[in-house]
Amino acid sequence: MRNGTVLLLLAAMALASAVCLTSPGTGSAIAATLEATDSGAPSAIVMFPVSAKPNPKGSAMAPTVFNHLNHEKAVDKCETCHHTGDPVACSTCHTVEGKAEGKFITLERAMHATSIQERIGQTPTSCVSCHEQQTKARRECAGCHSIVTSKRDPAWCATCHNVTSSMTEQQRKAGIDGTLPREQNEILAAETVQAQKYSRMLTPMDGPYKVSIDALAKKYQPSNFTHRRHVSSLMEGIRGDKLAGAFHNRPEILCATCHHHSPLSTTPPKCGSCHTKDIDSKHPDRPNLKAAYHLQCMGCHKGMQVGRPKNTDCTTCHKARP
Amino acid sequence: MAEHSIVIPTRDKLFNISEFFTPTPGNIISGIILAVGLVITIIRFTVGIGAVTNLDDNQPWGLWIGFDLLCGVCLAAGGYFTTVACYIMGQKHFHSACRPAVLTAFLGYAFVVVALLYDLGHPLRLPFMFFFPGTTSVLFEVGLCVATYLTVLFIEFSIAPLEWLSCRFPWLIKWRKVLVMCTIPLTIFGVTLSTLHQSSLGSLYLIAPGKLHPLWYSPFIPMFFFVSSMVAGASMVIFEGMLAHKGVHHYMDKTHLREANEVSFAFARAASFILFAYFMLKLIDMLVQANLPYVFTGYGAWWLVEMFGFILLPALLYAKGARDRSLTFCRLGAVNAVAGIVLNRFTVSMIAFNYTLPSAERYFPSIWEICISMFVVTMIITVYRFVVYNMPILYEHPNFRDGH
Amino acid sequence: MNRRKFLTFMGSAGVISALGTAKVAKAGVHTFPYYPNSYGVLHDTTRCIGCRRCEEACNIVNKLPKPEKPFADTTVTHTKRRTSAYAWTVVNKYQVNGKDVFRKLQCFHCNDPACASACFAKCFQKQPDGSVTYDGSQCVGCRYCMVACPFYVPGFQYDEAFDPLVQKCTFCEPRLKEGKLPGCVEACPMDALTFGRRSDLLNLARARIAENPGKYVNYIYGEHDAGGTAWMVLAPAAPAPQPADTKDAPKETQPHEDEFTQLGLDRHLGSQPMGELTYGALGAVPMIVAFWPVLFGGAYAISKRREARYKAEKEAHIEATKNDLAAAVDAAVRKIEETQGPGAADTARRAMTEALQAREAANVAEHGEDK
Repeated sequence: MRNGTVLLLLAAMALASAVCLTSPGTGSAIAATLEATDSGAPSAIVMFPVSAKPNPKGSAMAPTVFNHLNHEKAVDKCETCHHTGDPVACSTCHTVEGKAEGKFITLERAMHATSIQERIGQTPTSCVSCHEQQTKARRECAGCHSIVTSKRDPAWCATCHNVTSSMTEQQRKAGIDGTLPREQNEILAAETVQAQKYSRMLTPMDGPYKVSIDALAKKYQPSNFTHRRHVSSLMEGIRGDKLAGAFHNRPEILCATCHHHSPLSTTPPKCGSCHTKDIDSKHPDRPNLKAAYHLQCMGCHKGMQVGRPKNTDCTTCHKARP
Repeated sequence: MAEHSIVIPTRDKLFNISEFFTPTPGNIISGIILAVGLVITIIRFTVGIGAVTNLDDNQPWGLWIGFDLLCGVCLAAGGYFTTVACYIMGQKHFHSACRPAVLTAFLGYAFVVVALLYDLGHPLRLPFMFFFPGTTSVLFEVGLCVATYLTVLFIEFSIAPLEWLSCRFPWLIKWRKVLVMCTIPLTIFGVTLSTLHQSSLGSLYLIAPGKLHPLWYSPFIPMFFFVSSMVAGASMVIFEGMLAHKGVHHYMDKTHLREANEVSFAFARAASFILFAYFMLKLIDMLVQANLPYVFTGYGAWWLVEMFGFILLPALLYAKGARDRSLTFCRLGAVNAVAGIVLNRFTVSMIAFNYTLPSAERYFPSIWEICISMFVVTMIITVYRFVVYNMPILYEHPNFRDGH
Repeated sequence: MNRRKFLTFMGSAGVISALGTAKVAKAGVHTFPYYPNSYGVLHDTTRCIGCRRCEEACNIVNKLPKPEKPFADTTVTHTKRRTSAYAWTVVNKYQVNGKDVFRKLQCFHCNDPACASACFAKCFQKQPDGSVTYDGSQCVGCRYCMVACPFYVPGFQYDEAFDPLVQKCTFCEPRLKEGKLPGCVEACPMDALTFGRRSDLLNLARARIAENPGKYVNYIYGEHDAGGTAWMVLAPAAPAPQPADTKDAPKETQPHEDEFTQLGLDRHLGSQPMGELTYGALGAVPMIVAFWPVLFGGAYAISKRREARYKAEKEAHIEATKNDLAAAVDAAVRKIEETQGPGAADTARRAMTEALQAREAANVAEHGEDK
């Protein structure tokens, strides 16, 4: 049964390539608008949740568009992702259910796993693990990303699971079955990539110049937080970075590191509207206001390895009351 | 009888203390130690424990517990060991060894309590354990048993002072008769209490598995303590007899002298058997607890020294001494075994305790702690001498030669 | 000693041992109640910055003597310190996989505390609010609690001559009663200490571990350790430093100390309360009290009986010898009477009796008067 499925799949792929080679249709014209890759692989492809078992509703997740071109430029060698050394589609071995060829590692794991055991030779990476490595290793990312952890909610997932809405239900089913012609796939991918608009970033000037944090100033004087300097340094750090640009796809996302847990907005609520001065017994895990400030400031500084001021130099940020 | 050199106090001359005032080296050294001890005692009780000890929060129990309490109680085991052998097992020829053994045991326990008063933060509150009994505590059981056993020993011992004082206060003879009748139940009660608290001194450390080195920590540590206390009891009778023959030979009557060697040989044989058993117990315990890897560490070397140098060696010395009827070997064995017991107690309470701490945080007793321990030992010896000089311990009182 | 006398003794021995049993039986197995609504504190070491504000607050709240170095001096955290009678909490710096991590040390307020189990004067009590309190008014100063504590927490006032006491963190029990937070928790600027019901804290800790993958070690120290503690610790999961040369050698997972051990916490305490380790030994006490008198009483009876039988046999033997002797003397005398007449017979009988008596006297002199 399983071998039959493989055969069927291979036959479908062969058919698809044959069609692709013989009949140059309208689709390839759109695909051709993207810059070509050095390896000859498509510049962008749609990755469907390929499943061996027929699922009438299709799998739940929206397919992902993978910008092969950008990733090819970013990594040294193909084996970084094609860890077997064979440049085939991920779903060849990793399907939604997992199969023997992929050591029963499901597609979901193959794309999202973060703690991957080191192997002899090539250690596979997933999308998430590789991106996480970047956000941890690069100092300009590490600050925010040490206090922000990715969540499984629609807004976060949709960043990648972003196939164009012009994809038909039929195409989707075909993609899941693995029978979608390659060129149609490429058309969909190219359409999606082209629809992506890099959003205009907010400028530091959109935020306040300085914020005086004085809600608790009792033992110390208010702290003058240089809001604009902080925002501008963060923005400077990721200017022109493709990875950062792709994921910070809404202007307010950068604000949401500190102004967390509230809807994205350029005018977020004050910290004190959730964080009370004394700990709220109904929300024992919500830090009190003082701790909330300290955790955000110091968390980010620690992640960025900002040497000074030291965590315990209280008077650098807020002068002692005379 | 022939031993007319024995000075037996009479109605007119009740006290025989002239020997304390002859300037022999022993008397002079004792005097110095007692004087120094007295000074330290004053410092201890006016400035605090910290002023005279190296104890700290990591090592709350030091030499005063490790030596004065653990060794003191263990080495006083001769009391129950000898009385059980004589009265319960019917070895009548040990009779002359009973009184010295009971005396040593009584003094040992009494001065354990005295030494404990130095170590306690609130010595006067010692009886509080009976008012607020912490029944989950091993220490409570130890305290209860030691207190009860001290009373038992006092009663067992008090026959001798009654015989001594009866020459002036004849009405005491009646009481003596009552006490003599109680010998057997007291002996049985004594051995029960001894079993309990000798083993419980080991149980004290059961609660600290992370602090005591695995080679010494064992669920069977109460058993080890009890078994080794039997060895200590037998060895101390031999060891003490050896010293007594040096110091107070002229207070021994013919019966005592005749039986002394037999007692040594018999106890040596018993101690030899028990030491072999103890050796096997410890060996098997090490193996079943899978502690073999530890044997090849620094502490393992120390464990091997203890096992072979201070358990197996005295066992062999005793075996040879008992077999060849050689008093020298028996005495060597006794010295070796007593040293082994002391070392074992030191190891459990100090050397292998807190073994995980860096050496800078480890404990070594201060000179003043050692002085107080010596002071306590000297006090025991002094009181022992006083009792032996005055009371019928090493001889039978001519007025009470009533058969046993 | 005759049989009746012996039975009397055995009876009295029984009574005495029964009294002993009554006293010691209380030392048997006993367990502490567990208070499900008790409070606790969760110490998140990933948040602690080693500012020593908790130490300062503890010092002020509990009116402890001022330390030599001011609390603003954070360099003291670099040396390994422990709690003492005058510093009930201290913050130390540890290296966890090469990174600096701070941990606050104080009494863990065990569910079933070793100190309370060890105390023979009942000074320590586990309170329903979760604190382990100490009543110094009945403390004897034996310091067994300090031997027993697996966390090296209680300190003793060695410098105090007349009223030295054991001192340790009280969980600010008086403040809890007033509805206030413990001093250290209130002072923490990072909320590295979270106060709450112990059951809530466990959920909260699990949620923190789940929501921040890779940030924490998946273990709540104190959930089960030493029978469970009211104060619990979360440790940061720092990746172990990677050795450089791992090109071709099969990659062994580097055996490194786990993070809690690096934080100075003993992971090998087991999940049973420390006191339970002694319950087996204590449980044997009533057995020994019951069995030993029987055993040794029996041994005494056996040796006594053997002695009595030996004595009887010996007496019978002596009697028989005496009778034999008398019969022989009689026969000899009768013979002499027949051959030499009654006068000679009387002389012979007197001489023989005297000889026998002389021998007996000599025997007595040789072997002692009664043996």
